[in-house]
Amino acid sequence: MTATIAPERTKAPLIPPSTHRYAEVIHRLEAGGSMLPDTPENLKQIIGIYKAYAVPMDFYWRDLLYIAERVFLNPLPAFKYFISQEYLDRPCSYSGDQSKLRIWRGGEKAHPELLAFMERGETGRMPKLLHHLWHDRVNMEFAEACMQAMLWHQGMGGRFNDYLESDAYKANADRAIKAYFRGNPLMLGLYALFPEMFLEQVRQLSYYANLGLFWEVMAPVFFEMSDIYDEGGFKGVPDAMDFLVNGIFAVAGRPIYHHLYIGEECYEIIPKSEGFTWLYEAALPYVEAVFYRTSPFRGTKSYNAQAGQVPTNQADFHYGILYADVYPVGSAGIPPTLLMQDMLHFLPPYLKEIYREHRRGEEDELVQLGITFQRSMYNVTSAVIQALRCALLYPLDDTDPEHLLANRRFFEAQMDRFLRPEARLSDIQTQDYR
Amino acid sequence: MATILETAAAAGAFNTLLAAVDAAGLRGALEGPGPFTVFAPVDDAFAALPPGTVQTLVDNPPQLARILKYHVLAGAHSREVLVQQPAWDSLEGAPVAIRRSEPFEVKNATVVNADIVCDNGVVHVINRVILPG
Repeated sequence: MTATIAPERTKAPLIPPSTHRYAEVIHRLEAGGSMLPDTPENLKQIIGIYKAYAVPMDFYWRDLLYIAERVFLNPLPAFKYFISQEYLDRPCSYSGDQSKLRIWRGGEKAHPELLAFMERGETGRMPKLLHHLWHDRVNMEFAEACMQAMLWHQGMGGRFNDYLESDAYKANADRAIKAYFRGNPLMLGLYALFPEMFLEQVRQLSYYANLGLFWEVMAPVFFEMSDIYDEGGFKGVPDAMDFLVNGIFAVAGRPIYHHLYIGEECYEIIPKSEGFTWLYEAALPYVEAVFYRTSPFRGTKSYNAQAGQVPTNQADFHYGILYADVYPVGSAGIPPTLLMQDMLHFLPPYLKEIYREHRRGEEDELVQLGITFQRSMYNVTSAVIQALRCALLYPLDDTDPEHLLANRRFFEAQMDRFLRPEARLSDIQTQDYR
Repeated sequence: MATILETAAAAGAFNTLLAAVDAAGLRGALEGPGPFTVFAPVDDAFAALPPGTVQTLVDNPPQLARILKYHVLAGAHSREVLVQQPAWDSLEGAPVAIRRSEPFEVKNATVVNADIVCDNGVVHVINRVILPG
């Protein structure tokens, strides 16, 4: 008996190729990939930087919630970065044995590397106040810059911002303000004179809570990715992206809320029962405000608004990490540089080795790691794009050409945002960009 | 005739949806006179979501209720009526797009069984969980 082997047929694509300028990237996304090419070095770089990002992020989220829930309207918040032990020990909802949904296998309290850095910094063991004044500490100003970007851009989807203007929110905030300043006639008098000013401050504090709850998820996600990589668990960049996509879905329904604690008493400024979710009210506005938009910051580069160098429409702002020229950004006090400085303290050895081998070695480590961060955030943005495609459109292996065309239009529309010359999407396609 | 929830329970393919309706505290509302139009995802639709998605929602009833309300419209609308309008406001507040009439598609889900008429509304069975946005 002879076996007949059917000739292997190459499946004709159901839709014609894209003619978009980023067609190659679009076809990669359609095949389940990331905007970042799948190379071993890219994988190593992004996982290494996720780890270095997660450690200061563990401080950011804890302190953001500490400020939103405890420091609140303190008129002289000089010690708002002096997070309480309670918040350093506050069990993370996504790590530790107590977590209902355990994302990271590690413990629930502040990360040991963070605690070690808070104690010694770059200089050595000395009182907390001296570390603070010497600026040898976690740059919480970066977290606040992200929060302010979210507050300032507003209307980026979700219902959070609309709620901040509602009568229900105003009544809750009023109750909280009066309770916070109980027995303080001076502040209550100022509140009676300038109620809107106080209310606006509370709105900002609600964004502190929003961002804190958002990052409480991301820190354990990045820690777990680092642990999986160390075990040899990720085969390539798409695996790392898929982990993020699954994470986004798993916590999508997490409540976003703002509670104020005065002693043991809790005042619900944004109650959980409003139904706000991590995906719609925190993650998507965060990506839009911080990855894409932010705002021009004071630094080595000047912008002339009259010459149209700053867009008139806020939606066209393009000062986020996906567009950043990391080199001139590298000046003291500028938010992205503050983050780079924070990450520098927690780089895994394999990433330090890469930086030593390229460009000016340790001399321009901040720039190199900034570009690594840019690569890693293109991967996070890819995860968001794939998650949205999954939630709102069709599977990649769908057999209906209409559905595949809908996916195509969506991917092309996303890539349109990178057509402006400042976008770094072309740069990250090669390994030479460092 | 039976109510929307009785019809779903009898069909046997909506166990997750019914459990979710209970967890979200929406049973009372959906047993009311309505009338409602419900896009009911089958069990496989929930099972296709990445691990943890449904559990996080079940643990947080207000958030779960919000997603479920996106599957409900006020008024009893048959397929014939629904396809005449590009989008309908859901009880969640966000619009539900009617993407195609043949095959009948609501948002990114395909209606596998349309126009199940109940006492207090109409059910259209869909193959995916739909999400606002």
